[in-house]
Amino acid sequence: MGLREYLLKRLVHSVFVMLFVVTVVFAAVRSIPGDPARLMLGGDVDTATLEALRAELGLNQPLYIQYFRWLRRLLTGDLGESIRTGEPVLGSIVQVAGPTLSIAALGMVIALVIAIPTGIISAVKRYEIEDYLSTTIAFFGISMPAFWIGIVLVLVIGVNVESIPTFGYTPIDEGIGPWFRSILLPSFAVGFPYGGILMRMMRSSMLEVLNEDYMRTARAKGLSSNLVLFKHGLQNALIPVVTLAGIFLAVVLGGVVAVEIVFGIRGLGRLLIGSINRRDFPLIQGTVLLIAFVFVLANIVVDLLYTMINPRIKYGGGD
Amino acid sequence: MTEPLLDVRGLTTSFETGQGRLTAVDDISFQIEEGEVFGVVGESGSGKSVTALSVMRLLDDAGTVEADEVRFNGTDLLSVSESEMRSIRGGEISMIFQDPMTSLNPVMTIGEQIAEVVRHHGDVGERTGFWSEMRRKYVTGTSEGSRSWQRAVELLETVGIPEPEKRATEFPHQLSGGMRQRVVIAQALAGDPSLIIADEPTTALDVSIEAQILNEILELSDEFGISVLLITHDLGVVRETCDRVAVMYASEFMETGHVDDIFDDPHHPYTEGLLASIPRIADEREWLSVIEGTVPDLIDKPSGCPFRDRCDYAFELCDRPLVEYEIEGSALETHTVRCHRENEHVKVDDSGHIESVPDEAVAALERRIEAESAHDADGSVSPTADASARADGGSRPSPAADAENGGDHGEY
Repeated sequence: MGLREYLLKRLVHSVFVMLFVVTVVFAAVRSIPGDPARLMLGGDVDTATLEALRAELGLNQPLYIQYFRWLRRLLTGDLGESIRTGEPVLGSIVQVAGPTLSIAALGMVIALVIAIPTGIISAVKRYEIEDYLSTTIAFFGISMPAFWIGIVLVLVIGVNVESIPTFGYTPIDEGIGPWFRSILLPSFAVGFPYGGILMRMMRSSMLEVLNEDYMRTARAKGLSSNLVLFKHGLQNALIPVVTLAGIFLAVVLGGVVAVEIVFGIRGLGRLLIGSINRRDFPLIQGTVLLIAFVFVLANIVVDLLYTMINPRIKYGGGD
Repeated sequence: MTEPLLDVRGLTTSFETGQGRLTAVDDISFQIEEGEVFGVVGESGSGKSVTALSVMRLLDDAGTVEADEVRFNGTDLLSVSESEMRSIRGGEISMIFQDPMTSLNPVMTIGEQIAEVVRHHGDVGERTGFWSEMRRKYVTGTSEGSRSWQRAVELLETVGIPEPEKRATEFPHQLSGGMRQRVVIAQALAGDPSLIIADEPTTALDVSIEAQILNEILELSDEFGISVLLITHDLGVVRETCDRVAVMYASEFMETGHVDDIFDDPHHPYTEGLLASIPRIADEREWLSVIEGTVPDLIDKPSGCPFRDRCDYAFELCDRPLVEYEIEGSALETHTVRCHRENEHVKVDDSGHIESVPDEAVAALERRIEAESAHDADGSVSPTADASARADGGSRPSPAADAENGGDHGEY
């Protein structure tokens, strides 16, 4: 199977994954108590006005009709309009996606840059001070929620280092430096728990690899210990880490939502939380759809990477 | 007499475990001559592999290796620096491991796995520094025009792999088990070694492939004049391939000698038991004979013969420290046994059972043990060389005893 076919197959596959996600979300948001029309009109309102608004928004239709109507528009690329503002959902999402995706991407980079070297050191220096130190730090990373790390960062670094802002987001077209500084702390906050998880995986995976026969073979060839570790060990140890890095990406995406609140950044997370509070059904569905899309896309990238570093795996599994 | 290629004396390897000190190799000595195939046979857990890894200094920190001498080609392997040891590993001494499924790196082409040995131990003028190797691995890949790659392809052809150019670019999982073991052999030849340590090279293979692979190892070692240390649990393999053999049991060598002597005239009860347990085509036995009991615990191992609890001939001397007895009339090679039944004063009946143990047998043994411990404390003479000083007086001295003791055998 060629790369193109594989990608096509995966994309078709991911359409179904996303469809499933939005269906679940569609059902879930409608099963929580609270009526968007009543929320819009406030407490004292007569039934006629309420019914009129419900009819206008299409909320008086049976659920399956609402569902298929929404799906039909979705197929033409139309995510619908916000119930509250009447603005197109896609437009609202695009407006705020920048900061969220920036933070998530930098968070991932930070996590990988920290996790892979410390995981290796920890495995090689097992039960020594380096191992205890890095596993302790990783343990903190895993135990602390991203928003809490964010608060600590604001208190410790933001307050003392003036050049690093603790509030708001600077778009990248206002300069890479200011952009980078504005997302540094939130990225670190979301990257740290993710890095902790990856570091633990890197460590256990490397420990396993260190016991493999081919590592002994490499030593029996007279290679230096660094060559044995990095030429023969590293790629093998990365194989499981790469797989799980894709799965645990959810930690980053989940973290961003909360961290945006801490740093006062108007991103997808805020949009999502706001829309849930207002029972803005189309906006909730659209935002979740986008997050699902990012997740699925990242996992396709991870799978491609996986086939690159593991020659035993072919696209699609067959020979 | 010329010096042996590998001369191991009094090798002892132990591991610190939570339960106590585990002695994996207990005071073994052997010599491998140039061009010779020397077998070490024993059941799993007897310490065969640890012996090989100790000689190669490939045990991790948990293992402690002690020896009077491990001399290879005039070099004391236990005292050379790690970097010198690295140039010997894979170069002058290479290894073939048991399972070709796991001993080859799954993410590297087989061509590169062989070529890197050529680069590190051959004279091909290619850079072998850390960053050069890393660039080759992760950025550029191994150039198929490089001399090391071409040598790898040649080696693949030498070990009988069809389409070597194409195979060199493949990964281990694309080859069958037998082919993979051929790759491992090619890898072992790549550094132009004078000794190959083959640790159960055919155990993980189909029986139909086994003979092919063994022949390959033997023919190539013969062709290039390479000595082989063959570790196996299979007596059939030993008989087919080895010149001399040591029978290992519970971390000790029980009997050492020419393969014909060991098979035709075994002296140690354990060797006898092993030979009796081989099924034969002409067998009329309904049941195969087995050696009853289990291998003793190697943690805090008591002194004395480790086989005594399972031995049909055990008698009162068996809990005394073992010494080495030389068998008379072994025409081919020195034949030595570590079993007190060989004490010349002990009376043995026709069935091999002990008739009586006169006082002089005990006295002779005590003198031997005392002499050994004196030498041990002295540190000047290896205990095993000393042990070769005859208790059974007047027999041919082993070369070791000759060299170390100036032929003071027969003093008892």
